[in-house]
Amino acid sequence: MKRPGPLLTLLAGLVFAVFLLVLNATTGTKNASNPYRQASPGVSVSATAPTATASPSPSPPPSPSPSRGAVTNADYAGRTDDGSSAVAVSLRGGRAIAYFCDGHDKESWLKGDVEADGTMKLTGGNGDELNGTLEDDKLIRGTADVGGQRYAFTADRAVKPSGLYRATATVRGAKIDGGWIVLPGGKQVGVVERDGTPSAAPEIDPETGAVTIDGQKIVARPVTP
Amino acid sequence: MTVDPNAATQGFPTPPPGHGRPGATRYLVPALVAAAVAVGLGVYGKVHDPTGTAFNLAGFSSTGAVKSWLATTAFFFALVQLVSALMLYGKLPGPAWAAALHRWSGRIAFLVAVPVAVHCLYALGYQTYSTRVMWHSLLGCFFFGAFSAKMLLLRSERLPGWLLPVIGGLVFAVLTAVWLTSAFWFFRTFGVTT
Repeated sequence: MKRPGPLLTLLAGLVFAVFLLVLNATTGTKNASNPYRQASPGVSVSATAPTATASPSPSPPPSPSPSRGAVTNADYAGRTDDGSSAVAVSLRGGRAIAYFCDGHDKESWLKGDVEADGTMKLTGGNGDELNGTLEDDKLIRGTADVGGQRYAFTADRAVKPSGLYRATATVRGAKIDGGWIVLPGGKQVGVVERDGTPSAAPEIDPETGAVTIDGQKIVARPVTP
Repeated sequence: MTVDPNAATQGFPTPPPGHGRPGATRYLVPALVAAAVAVGLGVYGKVHDPTGTAFNLAGFSSTGAVKSWLATTAFFFALVQLVSALMLYGKLPGPAWAAALHRWSGRIAFLVAVPVAVHCLYALGYQTYSTRVMWHSLLGCFFFGAFSAKMLLLRSERLPGWLLPVIGGLVFAVLTAVWLTSAFWFFRTFGVTT
């Protein structure tokens, strides 16, 4: 007589895997009105939406996931027109988070909603503001008002590993908050704040996000709204 | 008449259906399923567009930490597997419930490993950008193939005595390598954190 146990074990694993995939897929398409966002207790849905795309494939960029938002989920990264600073914007389910950073001592995180026509007005601390327009899901053009100065910028669609990364940690009692923009081409612009004091950030490993700050290894993660 | 008229035409007795070549399907099916699982996972990981992120469990700082602890749990139960298997084969003194221990620790180890693999394949994909990552991707896919083969072989009877220990040992060794190239690396790189 054949034993059913091992087969049941395999099937249980398969069913479990499919269940998790479905959970991932449904939470991955969340938008503001998605009821799945806090679906199950104990499982906090954090940063579910896909970052742009991964391996550089010759095929046309696959849409990251069927998004119910008005704009496609994607990341954008580029420079200000004067070349002094970098800007990255991450769009997920109709919301956006942006990071402005000059690589030395000026930085700003900005958040807001993306309208159906692709315009966005993001706000940050100290009255910082970013106005941008998404054009053909290819680039975002606009202005950023940071620290009382206005910068025009253009950010192109970013493909992993380029994009927006952030790491927070406590190293020897100091609160570390680092932000990195990995530009298309691999160049990085980053600022790390130690207890609120900004300075140039060491480079992260764009594949893993690993970075050593003050002798401590921490990991920067892709940022999503 | 003492001669059976059918005797001459009978030739070699036809083997009963279903037992034609007992070895063939018995090994072929698990081997094919194992290959299909391993290659299927690898192809999915390669073709599917990695999402970078997936849901996280509350109470952990990162999905990396969650996965590392789940993988470590699986590895712990894999060690239980090794010990209980030695008991079953009489290499170690063991209780009467060693068989149940072996079955259930194996099930737990497998089911705990599933969400880790789902996250790996869904969020990260099959990657080859460093030696560690390449081996982890390759062996991770191989593990689930080998495990499937082991499960299917268990359903056969009268296997050569060495086969299950070899396959089981292979599954254990591969899981160890997968754990070393992921959770162990994670804990060494980022510290033993939750």
